[in-house]
Amino acid sequence: MLTPWATIPLISAIIQPATPGTYDTDLEGVAVMAVAVAIPKKKWTGQVRDVVLGATEADGGTRSKTVSVGGEGTLPFLDFEAPMPNAPRVAVEIKDRRPDDWSPILLEAWGDFMDDPAEWAKAVEKLDVDLLLLSISLTDAEGSETTAEQARSTVRKVLDSTGLPLVVFGPGQTEKDIEILVAVAEEAAGERIVLGVCDDKNYKTIVAAAMAHGHLVDARAAMDVNLAKQLNILISDVGLPLDRVLMDPTTAALGYGVEYGYSAMERLRLAALQGDGMTQQPMLVTPGEEAWRMKEAKVGEDVPEAWGDWEERAISWETLTATTLVQSGADVVVLRHPESVRRIKDLISKLWKKGE
Amino acid sequence: MSRYIASAAIRGANNIVEEADQLLQKALAEKGPDAPVQFPNTAYYLPVIYGFTEIQVSKLGDLLPVIEHARQLLHPVPRGKLWTPYLGEALDSGMATLFAEEAIMGIKYSLGDQPEKLDGYPGLVTAAGEGYCNGPIDDVQLRAWGIQLVDGRMPGFCALIGCAKSNEVAVQLVRELQRRNILVFLSGNVNGRSIIHQLLEEDVEMGYDTYIIPFGTDTISTIYPLGFATRSGLTFGGLKAGQARENLIYNKFRVFAMALALGEIDDLKYATAAGAINYGFPAIADTVIPEILPTGVTEFEHVVSMPFDDIDGKDDLERAEKLIQKCIEIRGVKVQIAEIPIPVPYGSAFEGERVRKDDMRVEFGGKKSRAFEYLRMLDPDEIEDGKIELVGPGFDEVEEGESIDLGIVIEVAGRKMQEDFEPVLERQIHYFLNAASGVQHIGQRDIAWIRISKSAADKGFRLKHFGEVLYARFKGEPWNSIVDKAQVRLITDPEEMKKWIGLAREAYGERNVRVAGLTDEAVDEFYSCTLCQSFAPTHVCVISPQRLGLCGAYNWLDCKAAHRINPTGPNQPIPKGEELDPQLGRWSGPQEFVYDHSNQSIDQVTMYSIMIDPMTACGCFECMVLVIPEANGVMIVSREDPSMTPAGMTFSSMAGTFGGGLQTPGAMGVGKFYLTSPKFISADGGFKRVVWMSSFLKESMPEEFKAVAEREGVPDLIDRVADERSATTVEALLACLEERDHPALKMDPIM
Ligand code: SF4
Repeated sequence: MLTPWATIPLISAIIQPATPGTYDTDLEGVAVMAVAVAIPKKKWTGQVRDVVLGATEADGGTRSKTVSVGGEGTLPFLDFEAPMPNAPRVAVEIKDRRPDDWSPILLEAWGDFMDDPAEWAKAVEKLDVDLLLLSISLTDAEGSETTAEQARSTVRKVLDSTGLPLVVFGPGQTEKDIEILVAVAEEAAGERIVLGVCDDKNYKTIVAAAMAHGHLVDARAAMDVNLAKQLNILISDVGLPLDRVLMDPTTAALGYGVEYGYSAMERLRLAALQGDGMTQQPMLVTPGEEAWRMKEAKVGEDVPEAWGDWEERAISWETLTATTLVQSGADVVVLRHPESVRRIKDLISKLWKKGE
Repeated sequence: MSRYIASAAIRGANNIVEEADQLLQKALAEKGPDAPVQFPNTAYYLPVIYGFTEIQVSKLGDLLPVIEHARQLLHPVPRGKLWTPYLGEALDSGMATLFAEEAIMGIKYSLGDQPEKLDGYPGLVTAAGEGYCNGPIDDVQLRAWGIQLVDGRMPGFCALIGCAKSNEVAVQLVRELQRRNILVFLSGNVNGRSIIHQLLEEDVEMGYDTYIIPFGTDTISTIYPLGFATRSGLTFGGLKAGQARENLIYNKFRVFAMALALGEIDDLKYATAAGAINYGFPAIADTVIPEILPTGVTEFEHVVSMPFDDIDGKDDLERAEKLIQKCIEIRGVKVQIAEIPIPVPYGSAFEGERVRKDDMRVEFGGKKSRAFEYLRMLDPDEIEDGKIELVGPGFDEVEEGESIDLGIVIEVAGRKMQEDFEPVLERQIHYFLNAASGVQHIGQRDIAWIRISKSAADKGFRLKHFGEVLYARFKGEPWNSIVDKAQVRLITDPEEMKKWIGLAREAYGERNVRVAGLTDEAVDEFYSCTLCQSFAPTHVCVISPQRLGLCGAYNWLDCKAAHRINPTGPNQPIPKGEELDPQLGRWSGPQEFVYDHSNQSIDQVTMYSIMIDPMTACGCFECMVLVIPEANGVMIVSREDPSMTPAGMTFSSMAGTFGGGLQTPGAMGVGKFYLTSPKFISADGGFKRVVWMSSFLKESMPEEFKAVAEREGVPDLIDRVADERSATTVEALLACLEERDHPALKMDPIM
């Protein structure tokens, strides 16, 4: 009879393919049966689309590099089954001006950079991330509505100050998003930026703007497989090729429904791998924004002492939310804090391309 | 195709190709083959030529093969009595015409003869500066408008070619188009006089800002709008040069354009129109010409004649208005109403609002008067779109709190409309009216009951506003995908009321008969509903004529209409496929569909059995059906019933146990109208298996259950069925069934 010990080599066999009969053991007197373990592999019929963000001079843009996302033919990091050509990408979110509602921890982390989007963008680029997300505020510092012209000039400044491929989000109100993103699309013509968010209310306009100026869209639907799929269909019906669409299944922070987001993403990805062509878009999610909206990250006063150090807690909140999403198939995670960026990049580097 | 038009178009094409050739020879002689040819501020070379032939014209010499190609497309003019379907020849000639026209404009640019000079008209504002026509629309403008054309804020463009009957008519035509946000492209003349001249004389401001673009006073400049269409396909359709067919298809379905020929039509206009028909753009003439009505190349009619003076209208202005209306119908352009013109707030937030007796200005229906609503489909010609008619007095003279009779009759037409959709649309009236603040709507058909509050009436809300609401909503998204035209009649006149309520009741009766005759065997397709997958990821409702969705909100006809309206939505047709077991209601189609749409987790499903592969249950079912083995039958618990049941569970604990998209033999969620269907668990013995049923259900549809009992041959069956008042345990249930001699006890074992 085998003792429990005898199973240990079998675990290592998963990491190092076993050669029958060559096991050493220092457990003298224990009968060891050498077993060749065939790792069960799932054969998928589908694959996530490969989507390229940004355009360099060669393609009519000014970015210093392009970034490929998606392309995997298996669940996250199971690249012993099928290739996962691109690591999940890390993007950092900046705003067009110093935000009014960000946590003091973030204000401290970015300091004076926040007063100038161009400087902020440069600081982000120094973190060696893949992408930059610029989100336009609803109002300017004086409290009047941000105009299309203001957004246009911010985008110009940011494009001029960094070489990172860009994602631009509008303020999140249908009418305003349309006004701003149409102008932004024109300003950034040829740069292959991602316009977001593109949802079931504004998609016709955002998609048309993307088609007119050679951009991509971030298609956001509310944590629902069918809605996400339907939006992809609608977008492709308008005429945008699907290799210019990222999908954004919406997410929530740790403790606030991240499991719903996880489940929707997991099912979308399973459908994609099972061959459903309308769910094979790479996924972009915004754990930074979600986590930093929550009390655990945002607030340091009047909270239970057991919650521990504020800064560490806040960063953990963002990091854990992002980690969860990376595991459920996120191809781009958008973060806010530099330390979270470091941790997530570290995590990805330890998981990606380890199974080949 | 009419030989007359074909002959004219072919003649026109032959002439213009010849003209282009001569002009080219002359220009080559003067300037040489390397002289540049270019439209200013635009990409895609000469776009029609580039889009269809891939030829990149950038100098005079490049035009030689273009003219050669155009020549090859020419045909001899049909002669004698021999009739052939000339469409192909005419369409080829049309393309040849467009190539020739664009070549001519290219050459003219090269010679400095374009854009056309329009001196003496200082009022003209053009992109090219004062005193010139526009020439091709520049790229910046193309993108700006293109976005609006793609997202639908701009419905399309209309090319006005020639000269209107009078200046007054010219202005009216343009205003009617502008009002609908339709781009107006101007070109052509009749005996030297162009609509551009007419508008200039009337001081109509033209240019990009006003959406009115004068391209030139000759017919040839009509090529610029077609270049615009081609460039749209290249820019927004993701198309490549040379994809001629794709570009034409793109324009047919995506670019809502049409041509309106004003005044006499010569050969070149026919030839140009033949070119435009290739794009799927129909041509409408305000003079007498032979029509080409069979549709095919264009989405609807090809060539329509609407002699201006024959248009029904009190004066020329009204005729102009109707002419535009007709153009829009022919092209199928959808125009939406941005804001409903009523004096009270409107939105779904007001749907739940109640109007209590004390707050009520007037009511229709209920106990003291009659109200009915009736929607029917008519031919498009029988409807005057947007007409709202009050037949009889309003409620101004009626005392506060009074109750009067009201009939609401809505007539709709649409190319995608079907008689089957009448009840589906009619049921929307409830939601549409309720969304007006201060209006309460209950019921449907001839048991409608509507109240208007005092405050709404004080703000000026009157009966005609019901019409405004209904018209706007039926013509708005998503219903406008099946409704092209609508008119509303609000009836208070006693005689008319009597007449119409009779007609309505006749229609209700016919519909009932039709629905009753709609069996699962009679159709080839069922429909899916996957709306509930947001919380029950593996759940798929398979909806057949005799089994509606679990929640009760979607029957087969609803799904059919919903699919028409929203082809990518949650209701998809499921072909029945192979009949595997008619008894159980097992077909290959639904099984495959459910497998594909349940994350591949459920591959067997039947329509008529609770025991063998029943449908999954989502969570929002109206009733739970559960087998009680001891009683050899099933019990039915309604969502409204909070009491304990013989199964030892309440409705909510059953919903938790069996919902979420699970397939559980012995348990099934259903919509309550399925209970009365002859297909209700027919594989397991049918309704006679029902041993226990919430009293709420019994009382909510006694007539329907009575009919079921008779159909099953046990007229007092419902009285023999126990409920929460007679049994909440299995023991009590069995005793009760014994006592009432319930038929289930003598049936074959259910398990
Ligand atoms: S229960 Fe109703 S809403 Fe849900 S899937 Fe079935 S028919 Fe659709």
